Amino acid sequence: MKIELNKAYAKEQMKAQLALMQVIDPELGVNIIDLGLVYNVDCSRSTIFVVTMTFSTPHCPLGDAIQRGVHHAMSHAFPDCLIQIDIVWEPEWNFDMITEAGKEALGIH
Amino acid sequence: MADLFIHRAPKTSAVLPFYVTAALFFFGWSILLFLSASELTGHHFNPHILAIVHAVVLGWGTMIIFGAAYQLIPVLCEQDLFSYRLAFVSFLFLTAGSLIIVWCFWNFWTGNLLITGGSLVVIAGCCYLYNVCVTIIRSANSTRYQYFIISSAIWFVLTATAGLLLAINLTYNFIPRNHMDMLKLHAHAGILGWFMQLICGVGAKLIPMFVLGKVKNDRLLHFSLAFQNLGLVLFMVHGYFRQIDAGTWGYVLLVLIGIGLWFVYIGQAIRTRIRKKIDLLMKQAIYSLYIPVFALISLGLTYLLSDTKWVTLYGTFVFLGWITGLVIGKTFKTLPFIVWNNRYKDVHGDARIPLPKNLYKEHLIRLQTYFFVFALLLLCIAIVVNREGLLQFASAIWVILAALYCYNVGTVVFHQSKVKP
Repeated sequence: MKIELNKAYAKEQMKAQLALMQVIDPELGVNIIDLGLVYNVDCSRSTIFVVTMTFSTPHCPLGDAIQRGVHHAMSHAFPDCLIQIDIVWEPEWNFDMITEAGKEALGIH
Repeated sequence: MADLFIHRAPKTSAVLPFYVTAALFFFGWSILLFLSASELTGHHFNPHILAIVHAVVLGWGTMIIFGAAYQLIPVLCEQDLFSYRLAFVSFLFLTAGSLIIVWCFWNFWTGNLLITGGSLVVIAGCCYLYNVCVTIIRSANSTRYQYFIISSAIWFVLTATAGLLLAINLTYNFIPRNHMDMLKLHAHAGILGWFMQLICGVGAKLIPMFVLGKVKNDRLLHFSLAFQNLGLVLFMVHGYFRQIDAGTWGYVLLVLIGIGLWFVYIGQAIRTRIRKKIDLLMKQAIYSLYIPVFALISLGLTYLLSDTKWVTLYGTFVFLGWITGLVIGKTFKTLPFIVWNNRYKDVHGDARIPLPKNLYKEHLIRLQTYFFVFALLLLCIAIVVNREGLLQFASAIWVILAALYCYNVGTVVFHQSKVKP
């Protein structure tokens, strides 16, 4: 998830990113931001925030739990907004999307 | 929108009973092994040994594989399971059938009760096969793992049916072949068709997923399945119409080529993995995959040496080494996720919660691994040197291992969340 600091809503996006760092992938034990599962958080509409994300595998058995985690974390951070979560499979998630911190947590050298 | 794509985790009530019952069977058969350890020095066609083998194969191995399969098939097929109710029905039939079969063999009751037990297991197998097939047919994607799953389920039904026919044959003799030869075919349909193919299918998906490995050549899996099935079918046909003789080794070789191709696939995933740290459970599961090599060596010895202890050693490597090693390792890679989903899904992201790996006692996993290696080694040595005292001691270690496993499974199953939603 890339945040361009010179854009409007960058502050909200950063707050959303911090909130989503509390959502952990239960199998890998790493947060979904560092795993690169969150592609974007659209904060352009003041009342609805849209999280666009993916999973490491289609039909991930913990997908439902992760989705709920995202909803809870975002609702806490933005209690006055509706949270919409869009699950997408394009682009397909791959290892290159993991951040350096995520790689370190996974023991990837 | 998201709901269209996301898999709902399997219902706890549809999967958990398999794990709990399997753990109880593990403890049960370890006790039976302890009670009849001295009988391992004799011929394997013995009521108590038959009871133990069926407790291991049905109550333990198949029970937990059914449970894990109902949990994992949606992942493999990218489609929700057709029916959790049917899954639970298969649990009831498998549990009742396994208990009856074990009890009948232990007391060597070869009449209608044994036939009833066999019939229940066949019905359980049919429920499982139907559930798997409909799930796969409904799946939009055709993945290579699905063929392994269907093929192994068909072999399970065939194995159970052959076992039922053999049970009938013990009372109403009608099979125009040597019962012991037919028993070998029944056993190998189960070992190579049911267990091996299911492990290959599930392992090909899960091992790369857990270690984050990439394999480019998927065709290896197609060839692997083709060789395994070709070799096994020819082995069965040859074994039924002629005998299990030196000629069957050619077909065994075909199966081995198939398994070898699968190992090449898994090897690629492990070599290219980006997750370098592999946890103990994963290591144990991977090392268990090598135990069939020792089983094969002891199988070869059964042809070279007439002593029946090599057959017992072969069975020990297959059932107590390979299958048990995989199951005790993989239990804690699957069961905690089911329980975690049930307890923490609704508070995920809301509060500080444990991870699935925190639901079991990790130090007991390490202890369990040591006990497993020690118990297996000791039992194999005791079988080879043919010492009753050592067999008794080794079987006592198996009881301790089973108790440790049951305690850890209980810790997960009865885990209570302290977080309020």
